[in-house]
Amino acid sequence: MKENIKQEFMEVVGKDRSLHRTEELSCYAYDAFVAEAMPDLVLFPKTTQEVSAIMKTASRYKVPVTGRGAGTSICGAPVPARHGVVVCFSKMDEIIEVNTRDRYVIVQPGVVNGDLQRALAPFGFFYPPDPGSMEVSTIGGNVAQNAGGLRCLKYGVTADYVLGMKVVLASGKAVRFGSRNVKDVTGYRISELFCGSEGTLGLMTEVTLKVVPLPETTRTLMVTFNHLDDTAKSVSDIIGAGIIPTAMELLDKMTMNAIEDSANLGLPRNAAGSLLIEVDGVKEACDREIEKIIQKVRDNHAADIQVAETKPEQDRLWTARRSAYGVFAKLAPDIVTEDVTVPVSKVPEMIRNIEAIAEKHDLTMGVLAHAGDGNMHPLAPTDRTDKDHWRRVELAFKEIFEAAAALGGTLSGEHGIGIAKAPYLGLVMDKDSIEFMSVIKKAVDPDNLLNPGKFV
Amino acid sequence: MSRTTLQNCGRCGLCLSACPVYKVLKEEHASPRARLKLIQAYKNKTLPTSPVLQELVSKCLMCGRCAAMCPSGINHYGKFMEMRREMAAAHGDKIEIRSLVFMLAREYRLRAAAGVARIGRGLLPASFQKKSRLGNIPLDRFPRFPGKPLRETLPEEIPPQGTERGTVVYFTGCATNHLFADTGHASVRVLTAMGYRVRIPEGQTCCALPMLFHGAADQAGNSIQTNIQALGAAEDDPILVDCATCGAALKKEYPLLCDTLHLDSDVVAGIAARVSHITPFVLDHMDELDFPAADTALKVTSHTPCHRKHGFGGEDVVARLLKQTPGVDYRPAPDAEECCGGGGTFFYEYPEISKKMVDKKVASARTTGADIWVTDCPVCRINLAGNLDGESSMRVIHPLELIDMQLGRS
Ligand code: SF4
Ligand code: SF4
Repeated sequence: MKENIKQEFMEVVGKDRSLHRTEELSCYAYDAFVAEAMPDLVLFPKTTQEVSAIMKTASRYKVPVTGRGAGTSICGAPVPARHGVVVCFSKMDEIIEVNTRDRYVIVQPGVVNGDLQRALAPFGFFYPPDPGSMEVSTIGGNVAQNAGGLRCLKYGVTADYVLGMKVVLASGKAVRFGSRNVKDVTGYRISELFCGSEGTLGLMTEVTLKVVPLPETTRTLMVTFNHLDDTAKSVSDIIGAGIIPTAMELLDKMTMNAIEDSANLGLPRNAAGSLLIEVDGVKEACDREIEKIIQKVRDNHAADIQVAETKPEQDRLWTARRSAYGVFAKLAPDIVTEDVTVPVSKVPEMIRNIEAIAEKHDLTMGVLAHAGDGNMHPLAPTDRTDKDHWRRVELAFKEIFEAAAALGGTLSGEHGIGIAKAPYLGLVMDKDSIEFMSVIKKAVDPDNLLNPGKFV
Repeated sequence: MSRTTLQNCGRCGLCLSACPVYKVLKEEHASPRARLKLIQAYKNKTLPTSPVLQELVSKCLMCGRCAAMCPSGINHYGKFMEMRREMAAAHGDKIEIRSLVFMLAREYRLRAAAGVARIGRGLLPASFQKKSRLGNIPLDRFPRFPGKPLRETLPEEIPPQGTERGTVVYFTGCATNHLFADTGHASVRVLTAMGYRVRIPEGQTCCALPMLFHGAADQAGNSIQTNIQALGAAEDDPILVDCATCGAALKKEYPLLCDTLHLDSDVVAGIAARVSHITPFVLDHMDELDFPAADTALKVTSHTPCHRKHGFGGEDVVARLLKQTPGVDYRPAPDAEECCGGGGTFFYEYPEISKKMVDKKVASARTTGADIWVTDCPVCRINLAGNLDGESSMRVIHPLELIDMQLGRS
């Protein structure tokens, strides 16, 4: 990028909030995916006006612009694939309004999900999407990636909570979509289009989110099974009985054994899988639901059932699930995880597919699944410097994508496409549907300035 | 796939949520993840050494929170330490920091020369004295230096009161020796009251951790050798530290330096195994203390030093100690475990960041209504006390001083 153009960009936010030295720039070349690309400049705007001025300059000189929150994406979404300017929203972190009477909040995009939860708790409210990165990741990033989380089964994903937003378009014009109203059918629901758009359509500078009252109580139980099919049958029987748990987390045999090897929690080593189930709501209703769930899993040959009666017991049951990622991460120098999703009834078949693929390529792979919504996380410990091993991991994941597609599933349930899965888009979308996304992209960003080099 | 290779950072970003510097600045280039990335780039020779690189790697409190949070089990501390050493060797340190390190290194030589009174004042380099502030701390709120260092006012061995239960070795560290003699006297009184013979080996000197942080490897080497000699005698009495940083040096850093400094690794491992922090030690032996009845209660709150928390067990021993001390109305602050921003010389090098952190701590300690704020780290103590405004009646002391006070109440 030419020096005078750099200067012009830097004048928008001032020297204090611009980075141009290689050492600093290289810290904005990555997220949690492997691919890296260096930006030419990093800017930290604080207002919509500044973002708008940045985009005006960018469109004048045709400079690519990539938005970034905390950089916890696992698919390369905030990696500036075509270089140019990275606009980092982390300092735009003000909670503008909390209105629990009308059940909404207005936040700047850099507000950290966990901070929003802490701001809402004293009012007895919460914001349901809870991605694993919630203590770091920003609302802007959550919206751009349409983040999910553990409680999605009952509460839905980010898109279900976005009521409206202020967006700076490629031209630099600032526009507003949606409103503060939970019901709103005034025109296209464009805010929802921005959920999962990965920064390719515009830069959000303000988001209005729906919030909900905190449940009175939560109850947790853990069930192990000797046959995988019984887990899926239990999941559908429980939901079929009219119970929507907040979470139904499945750990496969490999994962339970890996956890036992390192933490010794007393998980059964021979079980085929276990389900961690949590319900929330009014106390009496939760108690009734727990009873019904126990009955359903018994009907499906549960080998062992543990119900937490106290908060510490609840935490103990969650320990296995929470430690799973760390356990796999420590098995080898590197760890790769994906998030293919299949229809709920196909979860056991998909797990068997993953086991077969891992065996074929001589890999160790564990599976964590949000069994209630079919979203699965195969975990593969690896070593990137070991070329052969790395190649086998890449091959295995390609086959996992194909297997998921063959079962009527999809590439990503919550991580997004970014750079990571762009090559596989054709597995789950036909040419015309992909083309339709390009039509939209071209209409709003004709010069392809916004996060170029990604899935669209 | 080899199992011997070291863990790589998977860039998950979880450590950002733990990093006090990131939380204040909200800049990736001030995050633990970025520091690892920069160190990697330097090692792979894709980034040459430079003052900018040095600054980015050093804008860190060395608090250990990132490592405690990391799912991949990355040893941030070791990586940061090594890099800081290399960078300081290549580019030097800020002049004031260099003179501070030099003074610490010289301590033992000065002591050996004897007769050097007011050694404490000498600790404050002239370049500090010219300004009215030391980093975020106004000079007049900096602790006064006692006339004589602690170790010059105590014999090398102090007998127990009552039945003898054993012997402990007390490693006083520079701060207690030169700044907080009260902590030293209180510790000795509490330990002897428990029935311990207290040995304060002559010849001990600065633990050398501050020198290591700032890349003064040679000076550090001398001090380390001296300490090993002072502590390494063939006995197995516990070695107690009242400063978690000294503790971390003896327990973790010395063993890592055996090769570089040609130390006897068996002796060093023996020392490491004997080191305990004085606070958990006293907590474990509370029933050996006889507290007089107290009819009024002191209102006390606490601050957990990062180095004690991450180096000597994660649970808050001070909170437990306070709950078990008679005559104490313990009023926990919600952010008692957050970093205060002191971090060795961090409060001097990055006063704006440090100030933001400490102001938050002060405000929430105030809301507890406590009159006494205890913390078992000298740097935290300087930083917290230095940032209370003149109006405040709150006092910052070491928990051992509180125990000592309660023992002496009648
Ligand atoms: S938590 Fe560990 S693996 Fe994750 S970014 Fe930090 S250092 Fe890397
Ligand atoms: S040691 Fe503390 S300040 Fe330094 S990077 Fe880690 S968490 Fe941040």
